[in-house]
Amino acid sequence: MDFLQTYGFLIVTMLQQGLLGLSLYFPLMAGQLSLASPGFYAMGGYIAAIVLTNPSFAPWREALGGWIFPVTWLLSGLASAVLGVVVGVPALRLRGIYLALATIAFVQILQVLSLNLSVTGGAIGLFGIPQAFGFVDRWQYIWIFLPAVVVVLLFAHKLQGSRVGRAFRAIREDELAADAMGIPPTRYKVLAFVIGAVIAGVVGAMSAPFLNTWNARQGTFDASIAFLAYTLIGGSRSMWGPLLGGALLASLPELLRGLADWRLVINGLVLVVASLYLPQGIVGALSRLRRKTPPQRPTPQHQAALGETP
Amino acid sequence: MTGHVAPNAPFAPMDAGQQLLQATGLTRRFGGLVAVNNVSFEVRRGEIFGLIGPNGAGKTTLFNLMTGLTPPSGGTLTYQGKNITGFPPHRVAALGIGRTFQNIRLFKVLSALENVKVAQHARTGAGLLQGLTGRDRAEERLVDERAWALLDLVGLANRAGEEAGNFSYGDQRRLEIARALATQPQVLLLDEPAAGMNTSEKGELTGFIRRVRDEFDLTVMIIEHHVPLVMNLCDRVAVLNFGELIAVGDPASVQRDPKVIEAYLGG
Repeated sequence: MDFLQTYGFLIVTMLQQGLLGLSLYFPLMAGQLSLASPGFYAMGGYIAAIVLTNPSFAPWREALGGWIFPVTWLLSGLASAVLGVVVGVPALRLRGIYLALATIAFVQILQVLSLNLSVTGGAIGLFGIPQAFGFVDRWQYIWIFLPAVVVVLLFAHKLQGSRVGRAFRAIREDELAADAMGIPPTRYKVLAFVIGAVIAGVVGAMSAPFLNTWNARQGTFDASIAFLAYTLIGGSRSMWGPLLGGALLASLPELLRGLADWRLVINGLVLVVASLYLPQGIVGALSRLRRKTPPQRPTPQHQAALGETP
Repeated sequence: MTGHVAPNAPFAPMDAGQQLLQATGLTRRFGGLVAVNNVSFEVRRGEIFGLIGPNGAGKTTLFNLMTGLTPPSGGTLTYQGKNITGFPPHRVAALGIGRTFQNIRLFKVLSALENVKVAQHARTGAGLLQGLTGRDRAEERLVDERAWALLDLVGLANRAGEEAGNFSYGDQRRLEIARALATQPQVLLLDEPAAGMNTSEKGELTGFIRRVRDEFDLTVMIIEHHVPLVMNLCDRVAVLNFGELIAVGDPASVQRDPKVIEAYLGG
């Protein structure tokens, strides 16, 4: 257990940052560069922190016991979905860098709100958030974050092979052509955005007990850029990219601890080198080495598939 | 799932020769330029309708107006008796008007197979939940089979897994036709399908379009510069010049029309 005592916090942080990287992956599947994740992450954390510390929720905590934690995840997920639709419908009329800027503005608005509201504890934030499920060590959060990573990866995998996943990819490649082929782009862009928002929100709710305190520093412009770096380094075309990028960049400061102040220089160098030499990210470069298996033709069950209307 | 029909499935088919599409006073201005000026015509069910005219005459703009990619500045478009003016492209596609693009707009990094699968979107209905729980299996199977059958039709099944962007010009044009057919259209709009093809490919294309029309019970509208192909293939031809419709009729009489001769040789 010595290893976990020393590195448990780091491992959990790597998983957590990997999940946040993945929250950018879903909008990117549909070609949308959204940097709104820190906003939803911060909001999810605040919802959990309020439910877990505010006196007005004391009856909830007594009645639900340990179940209060999954309930905070659920609440944060729902709130993120609703806010995701409200923000997504107007914001997704913008494209490319303009969408990125609008989503950064959204993060800023939430940050200013949290600094000024009393329910969020203003500049001090909320502290003394109880440990989830009575965990006594930080590494035990692996039991929350590891299954979360598995669930998100399974979700991404299933999504990619489905009708909705195909619609996302078509929109990413050519929105106009996708539209002309019968795919309503707005609906799917909002859906992709909301999926990313829900993941970020739930991760926020999971992180509030893990970090013990929650304040306005959780959802900042810096975080937007950090999450973007995860997908750039790891690669945005595969679900493994943002996960790997998040885990790697979260571990870098720790791995380079011996280099003291030089570690920030190395951190920056890694970013520059990766964007110069790995335009598709690490996972993108690796997958080019792998030979693709050609698609298998199904054995026909329906004769004359063309004449048939499904 | 197999029995699922998209909410805006095509209308019931009508008899051959009946009017299927009607444009009335269709107009599109871009600033001071009138790209399509007060154009009226009808397309009859089952025919191959050619659209010709010099460069910049407004042919592609007219296609864009008909498929919702460009909203008209004026006029109406009626399809099977329903006013579809101003419908967004995905609704037009769902109603049964499919198209290809002059400047090929395949999903380049997707495989040929995926390109043809994607285009079946409006004819299928599996949502996020069905996809996640595997309840889309029957539908997916049908989508897969149909995609392979369409690749067979255009002779690209042996390259199903290749990225569409790697295909030759002619193959990309064929793949685009397969993708348009995957939307299960009743009307197929082909924007210069022979562009970039060599002479023998052009020759094959005539037979191919006829075959597709018969096999899928289609009405075809085609923009083409290659005059022999148009004269050989089309039942009727419309001629656009500077955004205005100057002649409509059977190929032989259009070819003799003095206004058409002037547009091509004089002007």
